[in-house]
Amino acid sequence: MERTAPRVGKPGPGEIASVVVLALAFAVPFISESPLVYSITNQILIAITAAFSVYIMLRMDLLTFAVPSFMAIGGYTVALAALKGGVTDTLLLAALAFSVPALVALPLGALVLRLRGVYFVLVTFVLTEIVQLLLFETPGLTGGSNGLVGMPATTLFGLSLADNRAVLFVAAGLALAAALITAGVTSYFRQHFAAIEENEVLAQSLGLVVWRYKVLGFVVAAGLAGLAGFSLVNMLLTAHPTSFSPISSVNYIGYTIIGGRSSMLGPIVGSTLLVWATNIFAIRGEYSQGLFGVLIIVVVLLARGGLLGAVRSLLLWVQTVRARASGTAPTSSPTVAPKSSPTTRVAP
Amino acid sequence: MEGFVAAGLIGVSLGAQYALLALGFTLIFGILGVVNFAHGGFYVLGGYVAYAAVHHLGAPYPVAVIAAALVTAATGYAFELFLVERRIDDHLATLMLTLGLYLVMSTGVLVVFGPESPQFAFPITGTLRGWGLYVPIANLIVLLVCLLAIGAVYALMYRTDFGRALRALADDRQVATAQGLRPRLLFPLAFALATGLAGLTGALVTPILSLAPHLGDPVLATSFLIVILGGLGSIGGATTAAFIVGMVEAYSSVYLGGSKGALVLFVLVLVILVVRPSGLFGREVRGA
Repeated sequence: MERTAPRVGKPGPGEIASVVVLALAFAVPFISESPLVYSITNQILIAITAAFSVYIMLRMDLLTFAVPSFMAIGGYTVALAALKGGVTDTLLLAALAFSVPALVALPLGALVLRLRGVYFVLVTFVLTEIVQLLLFETPGLTGGSNGLVGMPATTLFGLSLADNRAVLFVAAGLALAAALITAGVTSYFRQHFAAIEENEVLAQSLGLVVWRYKVLGFVVAAGLAGLAGFSLVNMLLTAHPTSFSPISSVNYIGYTIIGGRSSMLGPIVGSTLLVWATNIFAIRGEYSQGLFGVLIIVVVLLARGGLLGAVRSLLLWVQTVRARASGTAPTSSPTVAPKSSPTTRVAP
Repeated sequence: MEGFVAAGLIGVSLGAQYALLALGFTLIFGILGVVNFAHGGFYVLGGYVAYAAVHHLGAPYPVAVIAAALVTAATGYAFELFLVERRIDDHLATLMLTLGLYLVMSTGVLVVFGPESPQFAFPITGTLRGWGLYVPIANLIVLLVCLLAIGAVYALMYRTDFGRALRALADDRQVATAQGLRPRLLFPLAFALATGLAGLTGALVTPILSLAPHLGDPVLATSFLIVILGGLGSIGGATTAAFIVGMVEAYSSVYLGGSKGALVLFVLVLVILVVRPSGLFGREVRGA
């Protein structure tokens, strides 16, 4: 059981594998020259960065719809800093894109996360609508329905990162940073988050100040979404309200849940497959949501671990069958532990 | 002064529509403990069913409205019975199921009817004039039907055995079940009642406002604001909060202009959550 239960505060195999996979994304610009590959990889990396935001909150059994809001805050912060402040240094912009959304999330989270989880879900949903309205209603700051256009290329140590390849490097770097932050937070607070996910009341009665960890998770999740916003604005060279539409929040939730919410690899697998599929099969944006809807229902009813969990149970099953065939006793391998939900329902 | 009264009338009719919507939402949460993300989807579905009945089948508008309520109720019934029922105790799972259904429903509407808003007008035109006011007859009829429907929901919940059973289940599911109430029978019916209300509202309101496939999102956001304000699961709270929200929206759109009303409401809701965490009229209902 050492394998599935890493020690306190240490990153487990899922976290390490995630960071490695995203580090490998840096190789893409060297392997391929195709603009299509660049574009799809870029979209996938942005999706992964944003999906990590959903993943962190799901660790505590909280569903967040606020990803596009914080992406917008991060993206517009970067655009304003570049256009009005003349800041082009990538590291400085990334720091801004992380910290400004995080600072906005802090009071909001402290306010809402003291209440029952369902209020949080509802408030984040309303927040996406409000931020969208704000973007249109404050043309002086955000350019209203024109958005902010003409972003200058970002720089790193004085080097201009202007061409497609450089933009992909920035996206990969931001995704890797997001992965490192996610891995760090979820493994350092693994037991706290698991306690909240498993039984919040019990965790509280054992002395865990639940809302503090929730707020911490929310603040980090907002920062990650901000990084995704930076990546998106950097790819499009504009900050426009339609990039951060409330409807898109469902995509990031879909990537995470369909990929599998039980490991950090889940959002990576989900984002990669779903973004790739929508691009390759040329599914129109609006139709892809129907597909996500069907997949979400299937995952919730049949494969609670998502794609990743399904593959894992399949491997274990094959292992057991093989062990049986060769006559040895099957290795003790409980399948992916399903989240226990205490059944309070009395059969009629 | 006329402007003030006119805005008040708009506020009341908005409030009545919102109340019907929010009643359905709060019933599902109160009784089943399910946050129904498909609620806005049922509103849109109701609108489109009524539109299809009028324009493709040539049904008279009142029949179309009833058809819309029945179709959405039947969809909700089947959805609860076959899908939600299986994960009823896991609030995050049911939330994601309803979200999935919402995506499927709005994409379905998009595929069948296309992205453009159809021409769906209220059959009765004309305005009443008096005391310096112009009131479209259509709005008055919608207001009246909404108020009647709200009354009917109250009568159903507080004057019939069915309503008493539902309220008992909302109050304490285990005790109610021990007393012989059967959630497996009543939950789909409660879900159908709530989605039917959303469909009815959609069929009534979309002809005087607008009809489009992605209308579900703002409708859902408004329902959320109302139930948070009124207290999740509270019937009286939802009704009162709906009229407050309607009034705030009407007056802010007249006197502040644009969509600042939504912003005012959001801030108001955050303030309420600090001062009264369980809403204006809420009590601690369930620990979902």
